[in-house]
Amino acid sequence: MALRELSSLEKYLGLKKPNKYSTQGDKKIPVLQNNNGPPLVGMVTIACHLVKEAKRPNLLGDCAESRAVVQQWLEYRVSKLDGCTKEDIKTILKDLNLYLQDKVYMAGNQFTLADTFMYYGIHPLIVDLAIQDKEQYVNVTRWFDHIQHYPGIRHHLPPVVVPRNRLYTSKHH
Amino acid sequence: MKLFVSEGNPHCLKVLAALEVTGVQCDVQYVNHEERVVPFLSRPALPALLLPSGLHLFSSNAICRYLFEIVGQDSSERCNQWLEWEATDLQPALLQALHMAVLHGKGSEVSKVLQGPLNYLEQSLSKGNTPYLTGEAVSVADVVLWAALYPVLSDSSLACERTSVKAWFDRGAVLHSCESAAQKVLQGKGLQGMKSYMQRQPAPQSSQSRDTQPCNS
Repeated sequence: MALRELSSLEKYLGLKKPNKYSTQGDKKIPVLQNNNGPPLVGMVTIACHLVKEAKRPNLLGDCAESRAVVQQWLEYRVSKLDGCTKEDIKTILKDLNLYLQDKVYMAGNQFTLADTFMYYGIHPLIVDLAIQDKEQYVNVTRWFDHIQHYPGIRHHLPPVVVPRNRLYTSKHH
Repeated sequence: MKLFVSEGNPHCLKVLAALEVTGVQCDVQYVNHEERVVPFLSRPALPALLLPSGLHLFSSNAICRYLFEIVGQDSSERCNQWLEWEATDLQPALLQALHMAVLHGKGSEVSKVLQGPLNYLEQSLSKGNTPYLTGEAVSVADVVLWAALYPVLSDSSLACERTSVKAWFDRGAVLHSCESAAQKVLQGKGLQGMKSYMQRQPAPQSSQSRDTQPCNS
């Protein structure tokens, strides 16, 4: 999973030579051999390295504040979203739904690596959602649909149908 | 900019130590463990930093990284790697160790649970052959790991058998800031200072159940 994601990211970034990755440990943590030093270990670390290699630093945020926000969501993805239990899923979707209420992207008004990463991580959760639930988390699905149609992002993942018109009225009204 | 922390919460140790090391001026407010400072999170998440833009940071590592960046110390790739390792490998083990030691009085289990991460740290430090994790100078990675490990390393003999970890942990530069942060968070009560915080945390999943029920595989 992690390796397919990194290769999708490479394609999105337009990196010409695909990297070769290995994995370490039970959790299959990706490892990138690095010519200029010791190998790089970990999804977030490698992804940030690829972004720098592609000379797209804005994907990590354009000021100190947005860089911190991007890093926060990258960490959230690998420490909270990955390996979450069934009970966690509702809380995660509810929180994200509230967070995205007044935002176009994870870091506000600018597309960043946090969108790519959260999109890949949340894809399996969205695939399993019933239509009613998709409407309950309407801000998440709006953001999700936006990112899956973002040029060059979806790659290895199947598209998910997201209702654009409300079929059911929300329980909260 | 305003930093919200709570007494007895080990994650708050990191940000208070980072604040001391960087010398950033910031309002610090002590709140109750249960206080919901971050408006979009349904569970209380501390520490939290209210940014000038009105956004909240709720990850202690992101807060530390931000404090270092605004004084001109951007984190390197090595730093990134240590911070990622801290969040994904060390924290789950640490949480389990603290849970056992603080709530069940099983201090003896701590060394077993932390064996893997501590050995990894020992190997990296002895192979790297530098005084700090990423080189000759203190970085955000040192502060984060130091503060994360402070409660267990200062309370036990865990470090003794690992000479590189011990030398790194005892090195003066950050220790003072960490001790001062620890005094604020733990009130000199050691591990017991975390009791009321730990009681409010969900019991950690063992690594086994974490592997058997991922929803994301």
